[in-house]
Amino acid sequence: MRLIWLNLWRSPTRTGLTVLGTAIALALFCLLEALLAAFNAGVEMASASRLVVQHKESITFLLPEAYRSQIAPFEGVNSVAMGTWFGGLYEEPLPSGDRKQVFFPNFAVDMEPYLGLYPEMQIPPEQYQALMADRSGCMVGIATAKRLGKTLGDRIVLRGLIWPKRDNSPWEFTIRAIYTPSSETFDPTLMIFHHKYLDESRSIAKNMAGFYIIGLANADEHAAVSAAVDRRFANSPFPTLTMNEKAFNMQFISMMGNFKLLFRFIGSVVIFTMLLISANTMMMSGRERTREMAVLKALGFSDERVFGLLVGEAVAIGLLAFLLGAGGTYALINVAKWNPKPDFFPIFQVPGMAVLGALGIAAFTGLVSGLIPGVAALRLKPAEALRSL
Amino acid sequence: MDPIVELEDVTRIYRKGDSEIASLNHVTLRIEPGEFIALMGPSGSGKTTLLNLLAGLDSPTSGKIRVCGQDLAEHSARELARWRADHIGFVFQSFNLLPVLTARQNVELPLTLQSLSRDERRAHAEAALRVVGLEDRMDHRPSEMSGGQEQRVAIARALACDPMLLVADEPTGDLDAKSAQEVMQLMKRLNEGFGKTIIIVTHDPHVAEFARRELHLEKGVLHMERRR
Repeated sequence: MRLIWLNLWRSPTRTGLTVLGTAIALALFCLLEALLAAFNAGVEMASASRLVVQHKESITFLLPEAYRSQIAPFEGVNSVAMGTWFGGLYEEPLPSGDRKQVFFPNFAVDMEPYLGLYPEMQIPPEQYQALMADRSGCMVGIATAKRLGKTLGDRIVLRGLIWPKRDNSPWEFTIRAIYTPSSETFDPTLMIFHHKYLDESRSIAKNMAGFYIIGLANADEHAAVSAAVDRRFANSPFPTLTMNEKAFNMQFISMMGNFKLLFRFIGSVVIFTMLLISANTMMMSGRERTREMAVLKALGFSDERVFGLLVGEAVAIGLLAFLLGAGGTYALINVAKWNPKPDFFPIFQVPGMAVLGALGIAAFTGLVSGLIPGVAALRLKPAEALRSL
Repeated sequence: MDPIVELEDVTRIYRKGDSEIASLNHVTLRIEPGEFIALMGPSGSGKTTLLNLLAGLDSPTSGKIRVCGQDLAEHSARELARWRADHIGFVFQSFNLLPVLTARQNVELPLTLQSLSRDERRAHAEAALRVVGLEDRMDHRPSEMSGGQEQRVAIARALACDPMLLVADEPTGDLDAKSAQEVMQLMKRLNEGFGKTIIIVTHDPHVAEFARRELHLEKGVLHMERRR
């Protein structure tokens, strides 16, 4: 091990650059995986026991509020809550005179049944009571509260990008509850408020909702309930499309095209390039040390030991690069909580599997790039090598 | 007493394209324990081939080789490597020390193949460096030493495992006259004081004078022997 370590640093610049190059590739791999996981976060937080009903044509079309009472009696339906994407923008004046704009997802919902459907949003009972008692009250995720520097009782003013107020004034809310997600995969940045407040104050689309959330009595009945709901409204002016929450969330990702394939393609190219760089360095290093390998064999080192020495060096380069690249990215994102775009990625973490994957790639790259000089060393005949050098 | 080296009608033929070159041609040789042998002859006469054969680095085309009581043909490459680590000490013309290691670490290198603790390895290496008079250079790297000192470290490395046989291929070839003299004095002391059997390959008649027996090879044939 000592010899492997010392040999690594006989050409510090070369080893340093190889480690750095490979580390950057591994860091990029981890970053891409974190981005993919961030895009998938909505899918991960979906529950199998919830269905979403939207307009058959698109989520941008609305459904009548009356559907709630028509859906509720369906067999297999436990509860129903309506919701509408509000799309408000938070603006805060800065001392410089500019306005700081912060975006976070915000919805108007049927508060009581909605909170019953989302036990992932955990709040103390007194906050629940306060929220239910205040029509212009809202609940925000702990991440958004921290980001805005707000606490219970503080006011939030949003500019309604979709829903203007009747008097064109901004929408004002009072924070009555701050939820903590029950798991790391649930979005901690949401803001929800009473649908009645939206309906009373908006100038258009009264008595309409963007979607309905159905709580199933039994998750296995999702197909039957979906079909029954869609059949019920098939010939109405507002036909529906009912799907499970995962499929609903997936449609937002699919709107962005097949970026997964693109990410994977970029990742593969990066890894392949990394393999070539590392293999080239190891081959150069091995070729330069043919005499040394012959001498070690003459001293009594077996073929396997000499092979292990060269492969060990290559694997060590891979592992150093892993520590620097993947370890550094993990520390930056998961420990220091760096997020390139908190508005866009409420949950941004390098998944544990990605770190394991990077470790596998680093070890594999080391093994493969060490194999070529290693096999050459294995076949080296010391008598011939010592004679020819 | 059994000979330490015994070659019986040994031939080594190399193939180069369609032609065959006999580097050694029907050589029969017997070397007793404690001997100091100088192998001499012009370039291409088969000196190094003979040295490689009796160190188990190469195998003969025909004939039998017994070294330290072992028939080398009976062993696999891995067994020969292990045997070499235990029985043979190598000294090369250009020292061949590992540049990343200190003198002590270079000497410890063959000891890593033995079942010794770290402290035992260190003690053995330091003892070997004391034998060659380099106790004050133990922590120096090869680049910080003169050629003569490097060759003495290489000799200490060859001695570290206390081998029965020391083989040296032109050990003074890269040294100035004074350093060459010192190295050969050391070889002589190892032979006379420690009873090591030494075989050196050399072109230099002054170096050969340190040996008690000279063997002359020409075109792969052992054609002259001189004893002192």
